[in-house]
Amino acid sequence: MDEFLQSLIRGLGTGSIYSLLALGFVIIYKSTQVISFAQPAFMLAGAVLVSYLSPAVSFVGAVVVAAVVIAVLALGVERAVLRPMVGKPVFVVAIITIGVDVVVRVVTNAFIGLDVRQVGDPWGLNTVSFLGAEVQERYLVMIATTAVVTALLFLFFRYSRIGLAMRAVAYDQEVALAQGVSVGSVFALSWALAGGLAALAGVFVATGAGVDQQLWIVALKALPAIIIGGLESLGGAVVGGLTVGVVESLFGTYQNDFAPWLGPNFGLVAPYALMLLVLLVRPYGLFGKREVERL
Amino acid sequence: MSGKRSAVIFVGVLLLASCRGGDSAAPQEGAGGIKVDVGVTSEACPEAKDKSKGCIYLGTISDLTEGPFKTLAVPITDAQKAFWKRVNDKGGIGGYEVDVTKYVKDNKYNPQIHNQVYQEIKGNVLALTQTLGSPTTAAILPDMKNTKMVAVPASWTSLWGFEDGVLESGANYCVESMNAVDHGVEKMGVKSVMAVHNPGDYGDDAAAGAKIAAEKRGLTFENVTTTPGQDNQGGAIDAVVSKKPDLVILTTGPTDAAVIIGQAAARGFTGRFIGTSPTWNPGLLKSPAAPAIKALYMQSAPWKSWSTESVGHTALRAALPGVTPNDGYTAGWVWAYPLKAALEKAVENKDLTRAGVLAAVKQLTSVDYEGMLPSGAGNFSASPQDALFRQSTLYKPDDASPTGVTLVEDFFTGSTAKDFKFEKPCYQ
Repeated sequence: MDEFLQSLIRGLGTGSIYSLLALGFVIIYKSTQVISFAQPAFMLAGAVLVSYLSPAVSFVGAVVVAAVVIAVLALGVERAVLRPMVGKPVFVVAIITIGVDVVVRVVTNAFIGLDVRQVGDPWGLNTVSFLGAEVQERYLVMIATTAVVTALLFLFFRYSRIGLAMRAVAYDQEVALAQGVSVGSVFALSWALAGGLAALAGVFVATGAGVDQQLWIVALKALPAIIIGGLESLGGAVVGGLTVGVVESLFGTYQNDFAPWLGPNFGLVAPYALMLLVLLVRPYGLFGKREVERL
Repeated sequence: MSGKRSAVIFVGVLLLASCRGGDSAAPQEGAGGIKVDVGVTSEACPEAKDKSKGCIYLGTISDLTEGPFKTLAVPITDAQKAFWKRVNDKGGIGGYEVDVTKYVKDNKYNPQIHNQVYQEIKGNVLALTQTLGSPTTAAILPDMKNTKMVAVPASWTSLWGFEDGVLESGANYCVESMNAVDHGVEKMGVKSVMAVHNPGDYGDDAAAGAKIAAEKRGLTFENVTTTPGQDNQGGAIDAVVSKKPDLVILTTGPTDAAVIIGQAAARGFTGRFIGTSPTWNPGLLKSPAAPAIKALYMQSAPWKSWSTESVGHTALRAALPGVTPNDGYTAGWVWAYPLKAALEKAVENKDLTRAGVLAAVKQLTSVDYEGMLPSGAGNFSASPQDALFRQSTLYKPDDASPTGVTLVEDFFTGSTAKDFKFEKPCYQ
């Protein structure tokens, strides 16, 4: 039972990281209909920035500042690079985001230097007793932080004027525009939100061993998460991210005992296998919107 | 445009392309009656110290921007620039200076890009002072053989022992791991070994060496392949924690190694880890995994660290003042010695053509590494079995050392490596 609980908490912890990333992907997709492949770069940039700031302004202060700075950076990228492409095919815009990702990562890599950098988090690999099982504190912090951030996001979209405007744009851009909503501001704000979330996710990834330039690869795990949850659903992004994390962890812990013939690393493939299963049953994801197209 | 005209233009472009470069230039007589062909000019190098001397151009293909080994590749490249500058400052080679700055290309650790940039520079360089990575270098190997291009690898796979034109230095991953297991048996009393490694010839070569040693020593052996990426180490950690081997031979990147060691220790694992040289980075001593790393980890290495006292190490430090100590610099510097020796031998033979340099390589019975490797290292004239360099070193983490590690075991050859019949690359 202890082993199961430990594996579950590990899965929920890493799943929280995937959820934060997936939320960023979904927020941008909902407002612009584009999958932004620049998220991995913002994630890396956030972690690197915290590694520079935390000795000066404490870890928590550094995380807040980094999330804001990366949000502003993402907003700037949207205004400078993506805004001129409004109206162009989404495929073209998505390809441009790959270019943005490469540029931001190469610049960020120059700040990593030769040594692995540390974000200076207070948890390290310390463990704490949770429901009778020894689990790492950082996983509990990841889960709690993601829960709070998700709750705040839901409140923001539900009750704030800007959140309402973002939902209106996600529903129908032209109608929202006709109602006086600044669609451009919504685009910019969605990039800023996604940037801030990516920075937070990057910091959490780096709490285990540090920041190297390969950290960005973790962001790709958000892709099965958003497909499982549904591209248009914020709740789906959270559920998808947590599912990917838990499936990965449980398979890693138990699959060798029950199905060793699947190979030692099937845990890494399991989320994709689950994604295929979900797509067979619900092609638009668990919480995705069924598209109706008139021919 | 008519089809006929297009065809004519196409053929014209093809003809022009085939004339480009001079890769197949006929040998000419250069300074001092030395025969030269590709990559050697009578004009001075762009940054020549002595403008009256000609120039030998050497190429560099490395992982310089966004690939996974940038943190090693950049210091390797900088060290080699400093190495060849020192050679030029001492008078160059046979009336020529050496340029390693004009043809430097980024491979992004991608075999396809590696081959592409190789094609771009191969007509302009005599040899490659660096070709970083095993799979990337494998992508240009057939072309290198066809054009008699000699190259210095920035990797340690045992395959290079079987390639005439590849000037490897020090023990390969396979030998490093054999020696690590032998050390484990003799100094730690280990009875079981697990190889946790990345796929590909980096990890596979080390795992093969660990397996050979485990079988020879009668140990139980487990093989675990793990995908690069901090979030992908769960399977490896679970395997280590559940099987509880006495010794884990690690062949991953530094942060992945820290995740595996830190998480395994946090889950109660008390066995030992020995990682091949690329598993180490001084930054890990500040990571949350540092206590576990200090308690459980040792690093095997093909040569001694940055702060060692030898003629070569002292020259390296003097040539790179003010840099953050990093054994990427040490590696780049050590790797350059055999090419210097080959060029000097070719000059002595009055044949600085591609074929002449390759012939000179085959005449090298040893290379003077200025004390960075023991005497006898750098034999390129004998069979792989006789030429294989079988000594490696072991280090342990140490906060006080400039590169974060301190020597535990000087150059040694374990009994497995000593008796091993080297007839093919270990991982095949």
